[in-house]
Amino acid sequence: MSRAVAAGLAVVLLIFPWVGTGEYPLALLYSTFMYVALAVAWNVIGGFAGYLSFGHAAFFGLGGYTTGFFLVRAGLSPFLTAPLGAAVAAAFAALAGYPCLRLRGPYFAVVTMILGLAVRAVVLNLPWTGAAEGLWMTLPPWEPIVARRAFYYAMLAVALVTVLAGRAVRLGKIGVGLEAIREDEEAAQSIGVPVVRLKMSALILSAGLTGLAGGIYAYDRSYIHPDFMFDLHLSVLAVLMALLGGRQSWAGPILGAVVVRLVDEALTVRVGTEAARIIFGLGLALVIVLLPDGVLPYLERLRWRAPRPPAAVPAAQARP
Amino acid sequence: MRLSRRQVLKSAALGAGALAVPRVLTHGAWAQARPIRLGGTLPLTGPFADTGVWVERGYRYWAEKVNRQGGLLGRPVEVTILDDASSVDRAVSLLERLITVDRVDLILGGYPGTAAAAQMALVERYRKVYISMGGHMASFRRGFKFSFGGPPLMGQWWYEGAWRWLSNIPKAQRPTRAAAITVNNPVGMSARESIQDGLKRLEIPLVMDELYDLPLASAEPLVSRARALGADMFLANGFFPDGVLTMRAMKALDYNPKVILQAIGTLIPEWVTQLGPDGDYVVSGTAIHHRLPYPGIAELNQVARERWNLKWAPLYFLFGYAWAQVLQQAVEAAKSLSHAVLVRYMRETTFKTIAGELRFDERGLPAPYEYATQVINGEVELIWPPGRRSAQPVYPKPPWRR
Amino acid sequence: MAQVLQALVTGLLTGSVYALLGAGFSLIWGVAHVINIVHPALAVGAAYAVYLLAARGVDPLASLAVVVPLFFLLGVGFYEGVIRPAARRGGDLVLVSMVLTFGLAAALENVLAAVWGPGPRVVNVAYTGRAVQLGVLALPITHLAGAGLATVTIAALYLFLHKTFPGKAVRAVWQNPEGAALCAINLRQVTSLTYGLAIASAGVAGVALALIYSFSPASHLMWLVFVFLVVIVGGVGSLVGVVVAGMLVGALTNLSTLVIPFAWAPFFLFASLGVLLLLRPTGLFRR
Repeated sequence: MSRAVAAGLAVVLLIFPWVGTGEYPLALLYSTFMYVALAVAWNVIGGFAGYLSFGHAAFFGLGGYTTGFFLVRAGLSPFLTAPLGAAVAAAFAALAGYPCLRLRGPYFAVVTMILGLAVRAVVLNLPWTGAAEGLWMTLPPWEPIVARRAFYYAMLAVALVTVLAGRAVRLGKIGVGLEAIREDEEAAQSIGVPVVRLKMSALILSAGLTGLAGGIYAYDRSYIHPDFMFDLHLSVLAVLMALLGGRQSWAGPILGAVVVRLVDEALTVRVGTEAARIIFGLGLALVIVLLPDGVLPYLERLRWRAPRPPAAVPAAQARP
Repeated sequence: MRLSRRQVLKSAALGAGALAVPRVLTHGAWAQARPIRLGGTLPLTGPFADTGVWVERGYRYWAEKVNRQGGLLGRPVEVTILDDASSVDRAVSLLERLITVDRVDLILGGYPGTAAAAQMALVERYRKVYISMGGHMASFRRGFKFSFGGPPLMGQWWYEGAWRWLSNIPKAQRPTRAAAITVNNPVGMSARESIQDGLKRLEIPLVMDELYDLPLASAEPLVSRARALGADMFLANGFFPDGVLTMRAMKALDYNPKVILQAIGTLIPEWVTQLGPDGDYVVSGTAIHHRLPYPGIAELNQVARERWNLKWAPLYFLFGYAWAQVLQQAVEAAKSLSHAVLVRYMRETTFKTIAGELRFDERGLPAPYEYATQVINGEVELIWPPGRRSAQPVYPKPPWRR
Repeated sequence: MAQVLQALVTGLLTGSVYALLGAGFSLIWGVAHVINIVHPALAVGAAYAVYLLAARGVDPLASLAVVVPLFFLLGVGFYEGVIRPAARRGGDLVLVSMVLTFGLAAALENVLAAVWGPGPRVVNVAYTGRAVQLGVLALPITHLAGAGLATVTIAALYLFLHKTFPGKAVRAVWQNPEGAALCAINLRQVTSLTYGLAIASAGVAGVALALIYSFSPASHLMWLVFVFLVVIVGGVGSLVGVVVAGMLVGALTNLSTLVIPFAWAPFFLFASLGVLLLLRPTGLFRR
């Protein structure tokens, strides 16, 4: 994406709440930003390093519950505690990550799934988290449209930070290291790539960004419960969005998240009930069969097949 | 309506591909009057769909009937239900869509308790009247002004009728030890709250009090412990799948307490149509019952018989209808669709519903209900209060048929 | 003591059903490098078939005569019609298959819901809720039947893989596809056969589920978690592993409830499986 386009998009997104936009478009974009953040954050460890986590709901939920806890107990503003939620999620990743990252491939995927389920099981049974009753927060004090704008910007900021972080990782030295790990971890180690440190950094960063999104989300909901804050489905969605968009690049998951979120919305509203779910499922299956590397690499190939100087190479591949 | 949609779905499933199914039901010939639009979300697919579809049918039948009788404030009503796919996130987000994009005039309540609780937090911000099952007592302690349980599905009240019934049994014949297993979610926890208190009043000690997560894979350990502890009263505060496992384990282990209380499993018609005789004799509570003499119930029973070939109107069909009924009467009393006006009338009006007369207090709750039901020979019978009895309670529960 | 025994034995019986469901999943993963998310949904589909037949007076065990061949063909068709064309388009098959079969599972779940409605179904037979008394132990007949189905099916798969030529070919393919191809093993035929057997075993698992549990279109999601647990803990592709892991999950769940509050049993299970995986990073029996 060229700088001009990115800058243009940024300006559009920044002024969007002020051009007579109602609450819902802001809510829909807010939710889309959240999934963008989740998918891009997941991709840092799942896509770049090839460590497929199925437990990211744990980080999301920890971020959300941290926010809820400090709001209820200390009356702190959730916009301040969201970074704290990120820190808790990151700290948890730092603790759990070291042993988990010794596992490879499907074994890592399942151990993270177990991790997510285990954290959920704990929160469900601790009285000070609201346990199975759920945790209630005081409602945001603003008028709906004001709240929508506030959450829109907050989640936009989260998505932006996440995308920039993901991009920096992918295009920087760490990205090269992670790619080496994904392709052949032993070989990477033998040529001196600090394998453990890189994997840990990627997981901690990924978890922290996910927790940040969870922190904002929890306050917007004002009522949180383990059933949806630690929902396995959330972990799976992040994986799907990243794989569908294209996990090799930093931008792929953005596309995956936007497409999945908006298609899902359209199907729910226009078609409804089982037919929508059937179309969604079959569509997912069809897209991944037709475009096994995801949508973005395909679009890039299309673009670079157009009459252009043959020397040009897609950005993500140009900088190894 | 739903049936025809299902037929459409079948052809879609057979590969007809994408087709737009009309989501909106329009009736009547008064095209000139702008319809009053009601909207809500329900789980029409996914794990909670078994209940969600019945609430939807209740809403839709209510609309059908209102339109047949000349509409609401002289205008036809139009119901839009969006499928939240059993996800709380979607339930909230789609309700916000209905409020701000579709600009529905009135809101219909969601299901289950977690979704309703999260939606209560949303409607409070938009200042829209919201009538639903609520999210049990915790959600009504929040000081919300716009949410009403009309009637609520209130775990804390669920066994009140059963306690009263049991307290009328001579003390010598009452159970002497109780064992409880409870599903670890808002429904279970709310039902469990009333157990401590109820058992204390009956002077029955609680010798086992366990929580379990869904899905329950095996009920034998719980049941065999209750049996080993000599509990002659068994409380299973759970849903349908775990309820089935529990009943079957009790039968297999030949565990015969004098009374079995089961919270939520009996509330869907499948408890009797699918589980059959193994589900007999369990005692539960309710807020509405198909055998109560309130006007409208007989008609709903008939609808259930004609359209879905069921003997009685299922509970969630009645719930959906009742919630819409409360909304209707509030609008009729206020003669307005302004929610600021409606909310005032909500607390001043006495509602005559298929759940009886309801008056809402500051919390948005009617007076606690105290019905007890028992499944007897494949029928969910009312056994409490005595004046409302549809059948004599069976106590103690007969041993398992073998 | 009686309680410990009762918990242990019913745990093992339940665990064997997990193993049965996991076996086919593990086989497809091991041989064909496909994560078949739709596997439990197919088992639920089989449970609906059992339900339909039971309504016509056919015993669930007798319905195997229909379910097994049907699901074998379904498995072959699934490979030839879906997986093979997908695999030929390239990409990382493990990842592609995961998304592909996730989509199919969502579609299948909702096809079931569209046809039968979202409500739960229960199969009642004469021996439902009955038990064999073995001293202090009461063994539910449906659980025994489920465990019996698991034993027979997994043993048959095991003997097939280890004692017959096509079975050895399957194992050869799994260990070294190129080498096997060089030995004139027909890769396509062998993979096709594997899918047929694996999906047939999902059909058998569906029969066992229908005997013991209530089921609804959405209940495959719950089974998916169990399937992942037992297959990974056992070691991908290992039948022995999946049996041991299934038993372990069943026994751990039931036994833990004797010493800790039931509410903490899931945590205990997840924590012990997590630790187990950390100690044996490729599962118990991965060769």
